[in-house]
Amino acid sequence: MDEVATKIIEILRKNMKDPSKPVALETPLSELEIESLDLAVIVFDIEDTFGIEIPYNANEEVEAFATVGSVVDRVKGIIAETKASGAAA
Amino acid sequence: MVTGQGVVTPLGTGVEKFWSALKSGTCGIRQVQSFPIEDLYITIAGEVPDFDPKERLQSKALLLADKFSQYAGCAAQEAVAMAKLDVPLKDQAGYRAACIIGSGVGGLTTLEFSYKMLFKENKRATHPLTLLKAIGSSASAHVSIEYGIKGPTFGVVSACSTATHAIGLTYRMIREGLVDLGLAGAAEASLNWGATRAWQAMRVLSPDGLWPFAKKRNGTVLAEGAGILMLEEYEHAKARGAPIFAELMGYGMTADAADMVNPSIDGASTAMQMALDDSGLAPTDIDYINAHGTATAVNDINETRAIKRVFGNAANKLSISSTKSMHGHCLGAGGGIEAVAVLKAIEEKFVPPTVGLDEPDPECDLDYTPNTGKKREVNYAMSNSFAFGGLNAVLVFGPAPA
Repeated sequence: MDEVATKIIEILRKNMKDPSKPVALETPLSELEIESLDLAVIVFDIEDTFGIEIPYNANEEVEAFATVGSVVDRVKGIIAETKASGAAA
Repeated sequence: MVTGQGVVTPLGTGVEKFWSALKSGTCGIRQVQSFPIEDLYITIAGEVPDFDPKERLQSKALLLADKFSQYAGCAAQEAVAMAKLDVPLKDQAGYRAACIIGSGVGGLTTLEFSYKMLFKENKRATHPLTLLKAIGSSASAHVSIEYGIKGPTFGVVSACSTATHAIGLTYRMIREGLVDLGLAGAAEASLNWGATRAWQAMRVLSPDGLWPFAKKRNGTVLAEGAGILMLEEYEHAKARGAPIFAELMGYGMTADAADMVNPSIDGASTAMQMALDDSGLAPTDIDYINAHGTATAVNDINETRAIKRVFGNAANKLSISSTKSMHGHCLGAGGGIEAVAVLKAIEEKFVPPTVGLDEPDPECDLDYTPNTGKKREVNYAMSNSFAFGGLNAVLVFGPAPA
């Protein structure tokens, strides 16, 4: 597992009711017993850790956040976009 | 009895302006004007468009106060004038009056400005009035000074249920014989850069509009203002020939004791049931509910289910609307502003609409008065307030005694 994935799983664990549960890339977020407010905290933590902004609204179903792996992919995408726009500016 | 009303809202200042905007389905949510929005992704809010303190207020103390106290002062002034109360109250009358005016967060904008001066501009000290402007009880204190109210005077705090709790509490004080009359409600003026950042981080705001009960709803929109009622014991009001607009008949309050953000059906429905029981009315008597209706994914479904639980089959005959779709979520002040919408609905027998409701969420299947208000019999009406933390307060109003 790469650095982004490791860090994200670390952040998820901090906010799980039972951090001893196994977490893999294919684990669905729904299995982690994360509540809506925890999710806002997790998104904040991820943004802070990677210096990015994630467009996320708790009122909408977010397909992109179905599994741990999909969160990792989405974050990697945003990191790349952020770098690209930084380079352009 | 309700003998006076006053509002400051994103649809304008003063009850008539506010009500005519509600009737016509006008939306007061706009691009933010009062602070920089370049680095925010939430750039809309319900800001009060027509409030120049110098024009609206006479008292020098209020002119130096935080905007939330100024809104309270202005709404109280309208309520006192409408009630034709001889002010300042003299002698014992002052001790027989209450002034319960709350706020969700008080003078937050004053604090933000002061901290900016200290931490960013490296100023040596804050303005000497900073503390007096910031404290959450300053609105009630200012208003008590204006009108010589010397009885119970303080603020209450329950986030988005604040005004409703203040009104209910004052109502109970009058019922218990503690006071003859009271100004009750709340004011909020917490729209600023830092607060928007904090709300953004919670991920509950909509970037483009507040559409309660709609399929497309995607969060709430912050707003500001004040809503204040003059409540008065019946014989007292009658004796001095005060105008009686309506009767406050019931009050219910509960806490979910469950979760800070996810509301429970139990908490909401029990508060509604308590208010109904307190009023002595049956579910079939209620004609209109001004819903809490914040347009968050969870609130609107939960509130719909709570209404169904309390009203059963009668739920299908109710007219419901969320006027937040027009004035935005005025936070602590919301319940006061919405109480005025309910009073006008009873007075004019007209239910204001829920705007932006083109396609309802299939799970929200009651009559929310979509997009256009309507004439109908409104004898008895309910106003719901459900706050973060699971703090619920509900009022039931009826017509003035004949």
